[in-house]
Amino acid sequence: MKNLAVFIDIKNGQLADSSKRLLDFAGDWAGTNGAEAIYVYGFDHISSDQLNSHSFIKQYIHIKIPGLVNHGQIMSPLLDDVKQKGISQILYVKSLLTDTIASFLAKSLSVPVVSNVLKLQKVSDGYQFTKSIFSGKALLTTQVNGDSFIAAFSKAFSVDVPQGTGSSSISQAEVSLGTDSQNKLIENYPLTGSIPLPDAAIVVGAGRGFKDPSNWGIVEDLAKELGAATACSKPVSDLNWRPHHEHVGQTGVKIAPKLYLACGISGAIQHLAGVNGSRKIVVINNDPEAPFFKHADYGIVGDVFDVLPRLLNKLKSH
Amino acid sequence: MKILVCISVVPDTTSKITLDSSNTRINSEGLTFIVGPYDDYALSRAIEIKEQTQAELVVLHIGTADSEALIRKCLALGADRAVRIDTPAFDSFQVAQEIIQYAQDQSFDLIMMGKESIDYNSGIVHALVAHGLSYNHFSPVMHLDYEGDKLVLEIETDQGKTKVSSALPAVLGCQEPIAEWKIPSMRGIMTARTKEIAVVAPSHASLEQHISAQVVETERLQKMIPAENAESLIDLLKSENLI
Ligand SMILES: Cc1cc2nc3c(=O)[nH]c(=O)nc-3n(C[C@H](O)[C@H](O)[C@H](O)COP(=O)(O)OP(=O)(O)OC[C@H]3O[C@@H](n4cnc5c(N)ncnc54)[C@H](O)[C@@H]3O)c2cc1C
Ligand SMILES: Nc1ncnc2c1ncn2[C@@H]1O[C@H](COP(=O)(O)O)[C@@H](O)[C@H]1O
Repeated sequence: MKNLAVFIDIKNGQLADSSKRLLDFAGDWAGTNGAEAIYVYGFDHISSDQLNSHSFIKQYIHIKIPGLVNHGQIMSPLLDDVKQKGISQILYVKSLLTDTIASFLAKSLSVPVVSNVLKLQKVSDGYQFTKSIFSGKALLTTQVNGDSFIAAFSKAFSVDVPQGTGSSSISQAEVSLGTDSQNKLIENYPLTGSIPLPDAAIVVGAGRGFKDPSNWGIVEDLAKELGAATACSKPVSDLNWRPHHEHVGQTGVKIAPKLYLACGISGAIQHLAGVNGSRKIVVINNDPEAPFFKHADYGIVGDVFDVLPRLLNKLKSH
Repeated sequence: MKILVCISVVPDTTSKITLDSSNTRINSEGLTFIVGPYDDYALSRAIEIKEQTQAELVVLHIGTADSEALIRKCLALGADRAVRIDTPAFDSFQVAQEIIQYAQDQSFDLIMMGKESIDYNSGIVHALVAHGLSYNHFSPVMHLDYEGDKLVLEIETDQGKTKVSSALPAVLGCQEPIAEWKIPSMRGIMTARTKEIAVVAPSHASLEQHISAQVVETERLQKMIPAENAESLIDLLKSENLI
């Protein structure tokens, strides 16, 4: 194996939690698999001391993005950089932007890209990937022969290697992607205020049990008090009660928070497929027969309009 | 205008996944299969654009003959013809290679796919195909207007939502609310019977070998808290460092 690249996510100048875990994993991986160096790529500035987690890290490369990233040509400066550095393995945690870039690199370098990886290991004649399939309903282990691959880790992956410790100096570099005149950005609508759902540590989900969009105040208040993101079931977003990007499930966002509070949601299998990665699940539903209770760690049979305000009061009284 | 829609065929979303007797593969017996829900959105929007522009609409699937009934359903919904590449789909790279191979000398203006398949959930095939063909790529697309020689798209990004205008040709990964799922009409079902499903031999091997599979069963505590003590949930969650 030659060199290893890790793509990281930086949010407000801070390394995302999943990226920290990935760097720990990468340091250990490079050590046991004989990589000479780790190159770290990101889309923003980051100070070297935030990355000083492993002596294998040689350089941080800030990828500057002047416009849209929607065509191979735009990404060719990055491809040149990756080739020039002799990188044969790339690790990242799935996100829309990095998926696009990784696909381009995979296609250009003719290497496989394996998605939703939870575990990666070296075997005598190649590498084995254990990945999440069917929205988390099952796991599949596949093998790639040869030394080159791109592994797109699931956000839910965990590492059992020691945390990296500070070390050598890390040089900083820049690569600027290109632009093209064919495609134009018309307008950006950034998510404002709320906590982004896919990364949230706590999620409050609400379903058709709330009956009307005007009843969502209590959901938002509770989420705010908990520092949680809000989510909803599919019918709720289909009815336009809540924005589409809040819909979780097999056909919506897949979440893996440490705590998911499901309120007024029946627990249909398609909903469960998007939330079964949650560490602990609390279900509040007034129907004791609601299927969700079978998939709950803690259940309360009760009316959301009674239970939620009481939980909020209790939280506020602390 | 020529449009290609790529469909995956996947177990119905209500399916409980089980393993076969060797305990290493997903058991497909007894499962009902459907066209991938996101692919169905892509197809539904493509049919609307076909109606708007009189485009030719081709459906492409990489899979075995078991999928023919579902391909026929796509024809009943309004696709003009279909192509099936006769090999099981093993990984994103293989599927993308087959799509590229088929599409490269057909000059499609628009290639529409789902944002992800719901079996492998990779969300990668459309990007691989776009780069293989040097087409523009956008995903997930939530809104699509076809305006003569360009597309106006609303796409989700890691930071929120963006509105862009894109030149053709392009590959799009689609998701709701781009269109509503459609139901075939009686007339559609009749005319679909005579439409062509071409079967093409595969030209690429897969890079990933499947070694073993495992069903995930998450054990939950299933502890009930009486509604009159609902507040105690907060203490419990605090004691477990969950909040
Ligand atoms: C192809 C396909 C894909 C799908 N994908 C998804 C998906 O990704 N995500 C998803 O969520 N769904 C999905 N669905 C829909 C899914 O099958 C269910 O219909 C949906 O999850 C139900 O949403 P719900 O629980 O909010 O509503 P309901 O099933 O109507 O349940 C409402 C619940 O609220 C409870 N309730 C009512 N009033 C109160 C009250 N006052 N206090 C407490 N509880 C109350 C009721 O007891 C009930 O259990 C999909 C369906 C299909 C066919
Ligand atoms: N076997 C297949 N045949 C045709 N198209 C496919 C196949 N598998 C995936 N696709 C398309 O690629 C999209 C993304 O799939 P994936 O990258 O596997 O999540 C799907 O929504 C389909 O449109």
